[in-house]
Amino acid sequence: MAVINVTSGNQAILTLGSNAALAVPGNAGGLVVPFVQDITINATPGTVRYSTLDSTSSSAFTTVNENSVSLNILVDETVMFGDDSGNVNTVIDRGLFRTSTDKTEINFSVLVTGTGTTGDIYIAGKGFIGGLAPTASIDGAVWLSPVELICNGELTQTVES
Amino acid sequence: MSKRTDIIGRITTNIAAHTNYSISEELPFDSGGIPLYTKNLNTIYVDQQEIAVEELYSTLDQGVVNETTTTINAYLAVDAKNQFSDIDTVVANLLIARNVITGTVESTSDYETEIAEDVITYTFEYNFITV
Repeated sequence: MAVINVTSGNQAILTLGSNAALAVPGNAGGLVVPFVQDITINATPGTVRYSTLDSTSSSAFTTVNENSVSLNILVDETVMFGDDSGNVNTVIDRGLFRTSTDKTEINFSVLVTGTGTTGDIYIAGKGFIGGLAPTASIDGAVWLSPVELICNGELTQTVES
Repeated sequence: MSKRTDIIGRITTNIAAHTNYSISEELPFDSGGIPLYTKNLNTIYVDQQEIAVEELYSTLDQGVVNETTTTINAYLAVDAKNQFSDIDTVVANLLIARNVITGTVESTSDYETEIAEDVITYTFEYNFITV
């Protein structure tokens, strides 16, 4: 057992792609989101609680999973607004902002360990970019923004082989 | 051009109409361990700037955004008993000389005074934070 140290710069990497293959960690065509301050993977089963007369505590059953990935970034101009290069990975072409306003479904992966080589674990899924709220202040000096990836479907855990 | 140079330029402009005062660009400004501003009253001396760099943001991909704090001190000594009538204006002009530095996150200036042997010494401190 060991904790996963994220200080080396090659863990907790978010890669976006307009299809699942492009979003695989290490794919040269993927968009690696730079300047991520923090990232949270939310994998939450929906639950319904109920009470019965023969029990002093409530019970629960699960419904559907509600998954998302949330992060905070320092805004990179090209990543946020796209490079309009006609790249096959439309997230690179359009940028986070227009991909969000276009309501385009994208694929993503979050590399949990390592650099995308054999044995490394990543979480993947697909969904929509939301939660963009770029903020600038003279104290902050740079543009900051939260980002939320609202998952459409299940998150999957993959071990690189 | 260094911030010290910019400050000296703006002070020179700001005190141009106050002919009782002058500014020296000399470095260092001491003689035998005695600061020259205590000998040359009504002359402003600007010390070398000091710079400190701190991390403002760090990111998971080891990106770093630094903020740089530049501190500059300036000194003016005057006869405490026979101050010129425009000393308050000169002091105010020295304080607002900081406005010459642009592109800052924060820009401050203040001063302290000390009286010794009939000489009042104004010590100005300019601070500029840039990213």
